[in-house]
Amino acid sequence: MNFFMLVVKQLSKIYPSAKRWAYRFHGGVFPRYNKSLSASQPIRPQLIPEKLILPLQQQVGLPACPIVQVGDKVKKNQLLAKPSKDPQKALSVPIHAPTSGTIIAIEEATLAHPSGLEGVCIILQPDGANQAIENALEVDGSLPKTPVELKSVLLKSGIVGMGGAGFPTYAKLPNERGRIHTLLINGAECEPFITCDDLLMQTQAEAIIKGALLTAEALGAERIICGIETNKPAAIQAMKKAAASTSVEIKEVATVYPMGGQKQLTLELTGIETPHDSHAVDIGLLMMNVATLTAIYRAVSLGDPLTSRLVTVSGLGLEKPFNMDVMIGTPFNSLAQAAKPKVKLDYPLVMGGPMMGFQVKSNEVPVLKTTNCVLANPPEPVDMQMPCIRCGECMDVCPVNLLPQQMYWYSQAHEFDKVEKLQVFDCIECGCCSYVCPSHIPLVQYYRHAKSEIKAIHAEEKAVELAKQRHEFKLARIEREKQEREARLKAKKEAVKQAAAKTEDSSEKTPAKKAAGAAAAARAAAAKRAMQKGNKPSSGSDKAMPSARLKAIEAAKKAAQNSELEAGSTASMKSSTGDAKSKARQAAQKAAQKRAQKVKAQSEPANKDAKTNLKSESSSPTKEPSAEAISLDLTQTSEATTASKKEAARKAAMQAARAAAKKRKVSSSDHQVSSDKPSGERSDNQTHQQDENSDKRQKAMEAARKRAKQRQAEKNQAADNQENT
Amino acid sequence: MSQSILSSSPYTHNNQSVRKVMLQVQIAALPALIAHIYLFGFGIAIQWMLAVATALVVEYVMLKLRGRPVLPFISDMSALITITGLVFCIPPEAPWWVIVTGSAFALTFGKHLYGGLGYNPFNPAMLGYAFLLISFPVQMTQWALPIEYTGEALNLLQSAQVIFTGQIPGLSMDMYTGATPLNEVRNGLSQGLSVQDTLNNSALSSLWGLSSWGWINVAFLLGGVWMIYSGVISWQYPVGFLGSLAAISLLFNQIDPATYPPVDFVLLTGGTMLAAFFIITDPVTASTTPRGKLIYACGIGILVYVIRNWGAFPDGIAFAILLMNIAVPLIDQYTQPRVFGHNR
Repeated sequence: MNFFMLVVKQLSKIYPSAKRWAYRFHGGVFPRYNKSLSASQPIRPQLIPEKLILPLQQQVGLPACPIVQVGDKVKKNQLLAKPSKDPQKALSVPIHAPTSGTIIAIEEATLAHPSGLEGVCIILQPDGANQAIENALEVDGSLPKTPVELKSVLLKSGIVGMGGAGFPTYAKLPNERGRIHTLLINGAECEPFITCDDLLMQTQAEAIIKGALLTAEALGAERIICGIETNKPAAIQAMKKAAASTSVEIKEVATVYPMGGQKQLTLELTGIETPHDSHAVDIGLLMMNVATLTAIYRAVSLGDPLTSRLVTVSGLGLEKPFNMDVMIGTPFNSLAQAAKPKVKLDYPLVMGGPMMGFQVKSNEVPVLKTTNCVLANPPEPVDMQMPCIRCGECMDVCPVNLLPQQMYWYSQAHEFDKVEKLQVFDCIECGCCSYVCPSHIPLVQYYRHAKSEIKAIHAEEKAVELAKQRHEFKLARIEREKQEREARLKAKKEAVKQAAAKTEDSSEKTPAKKAAGAAAAARAAAAKRAMQKGNKPSSGSDKAMPSARLKAIEAAKKAAQNSELEAGSTASMKSSTGDAKSKARQAAQKAAQKRAQKVKAQSEPANKDAKTNLKSESSSPTKEPSAEAISLDLTQTSEATTASKKEAARKAAMQAARAAAKKRKVSSSDHQVSSDKPSGERSDNQTHQQDENSDKRQKAMEAARKRAKQRQAEKNQAADNQENT
Repeated sequence: MSQSILSSSPYTHNNQSVRKVMLQVQIAALPALIAHIYLFGFGIAIQWMLAVATALVVEYVMLKLRGRPVLPFISDMSALITITGLVFCIPPEAPWWVIVTGSAFALTFGKHLYGGLGYNPFNPAMLGYAFLLISFPVQMTQWALPIEYTGEALNLLQSAQVIFTGQIPGLSMDMYTGATPLNEVRNGLSQGLSVQDTLNNSALSSLWGLSSWGWINVAFLLGGVWMIYSGVISWQYPVGFLGSLAAISLLFNQIDPATYPPVDFVLLTGGTMLAAFFIITDPVTASTTPRGKLIYACGIGILVYVIRNWGAFPDGIAFAILLMNIAVPLIDQYTQPRVFGHNR
């Protein structure tokens, strides 16, 4: 303690606010500590409760996976649950048996959690023998040389940060040696009532120092600084003694809440203010609680996993408060009962200190690796919440230098964007503001709520943004496809025109006037029908150019081009022999058959006929018409007249296209999304497996859609036909 | 008072409350109250009791009208601080209806119509004072003469007679009322007298080296220092206000001593110390950030000087404070402190 501190100490007797000059961070409060309640008592011998409740999740991250069965006999230190998945990512730690006994259940139980969560726990019934597996972690006593070696031991031992948050210790360490230049030891213990770290330092200073030294050695850290609040003189003395011949520096720090906060103590010990957007590890600092270091020492040199910890059982409602090396999993209630409650414990116990602890939902919750205190303070009536008078007391005590009264104002008004702008996420929820508020406003509660609201808002914004991006992408894709299709259409149109001109020349010699006559008759009928139906609105859009028709046109072109070549080579065709008449009939039959396959009857040939004059339409088929289709249109094109020839070709092509489409449909049972389907169907992403029924239904829908298209074409045709006939 | 159980941490409290804060302020005002009674007679005590009675009635009626629980809010003592501030501003022998209307206006229009404690943008005491200054200028300038002029302050009966009947049998008004030093200087200047001449004339009647008004200010200073010591008010308010007022008056006094009064006169007359420790420190209407408090207080100091010397009123405290009250949200916006771990 230097001269300045002495002056401050004397001065603070006549001017209490002078205490604030003794430390570097802003704000802080000086609550009634009540530490002597438990600190004055010797550490009690370990209590073996009737049952131990070992939650699979005791820290941030994922729960562990049990590897024991109900009924198994286990020994102390035996592995009960191993980390799930990749422990580096899952932040999962193993759980070991704190004593020997029988697993009597693996079931849900209420956890010591602010929200009263339930979680799967291994219930162990101790046999009282306390038989242990020595060196359960199978260490050889050698000190780890690299961070990775240390981390593997830490992972096996199930050590988490025992100061509060419970971040798995292995996950906190960097993999590379030398990234940490200073190891900080947190012995501040600033919360009122809690004395477990104080007593740990008094009784196990050697282990703490050894743990710190081996950790610093493995990490390649150059300095080790330990900060202890001035209100623990015995601990300071013990630690100084243990650290005497080592490089560990023991620093006394002012007694102020929240001195034990990581960023506050870091500033106090090193003068470094951790930037808001980085962790201490990023700036070469690592802080560990004294209890964690003891556990590290025990794991590395003795091979003991973390199965017990020093816990303060204190509070104004207890006759005989104490500290004890408590087995993880011991129910709170059995500890509180051991401390002789003054009145029946009909009020909830608090895990942690009065400033940052939380009331447990049930007093039967188990001690966790992060439980430093079981507090039994009878509930005191508090003053009614008054309006904020903007006195600024909260601001004066905020260790993060926030503006609590303004954050409260905006939280209350649900203006969460402004709350966020006031850096609510830098709030460490230490409770100083609520502690001093003369209006008794539960400020921290408001900030917790604001934080969760802001997180929800951001999640929603993100989802909306994603949906917007997707939508824009979809629009862009549709636009692109439309343009591509138009380009192709244009190209095909030219091609078809040319091809048509060719076929006119080449296929004139073919006879079969009857077919032409039949076609003409069919067309007339179609025209008639078209006139009847002409007024019906067409459902399909222009851009959803019926693919069947496109294909048909393509087929027609192909057929026309190939007509000469293939006229003679239609051996495979069913109706290769016979005259044109019979061929035509066969084609008609075929068409009829196809038609019959449709779910709803419709005079499609007629429609197709009606469609034939739609020269303005062109196509962009992606599939070759089937051989059958080609053969079919051959039968007709070869006998058509100039007028009906094209017509016939197209009809056949459409037939072919339909056949192809049907085939495709059958083959693609899962997906029905393709570019050659109408656009209305495109977004209709049918990803899940379809059974027979839905397949049928789809076919029916397909047919119906085609019919609709044809009807539209028919309508378009009506005018043309009237002109033609 | 209704009570509840804390449902989330922290589960402990430093036992401070709004009522305690307000009571501390009230206690800090006691030295000035006692000095006032000694120097100016019992007028202020009667005024204060009238104001308390008015406040109780107004608070009760307004809380009822607003549908709020009466007991917790009427006992928060904030109304007491408001009327105490107001009582010190009005002449001790002013007619009874002045303080009654003033208190009623201050509490109703200054506080309750804005939503009650914590929601008022303007300092209620100063709003009431400004209302009285504008509405009853004659009554507001008839100050009781201190004992150095009269030799003996009015007794309780005489004060009551003046306040309730407007006269004391056998005494003329001029025998016990007169202008305040600030008014005298002002009048003197308008008559062509220099500041020094005016002050020298009245310096004859000083009491242990200071005028009575000076002693009242000293009493406020004492109470104020105690409040800073016990952490009830922030040091920024008085330091900013008195500092800027002293600096600007020193500057102008150096330039022209005949027109601009000296620093000690500026700091120890009128409501300077009252404002510095009891009025501008009202947290509801003041800036809350540390730098904001300084800026707010400096702004008031400068405005007070401007109004006193170049404005239409002899003491500009009410208007200076009300003007700076308007600026508070803006000041707060731009004076947010650097948050831990952030660069600014």
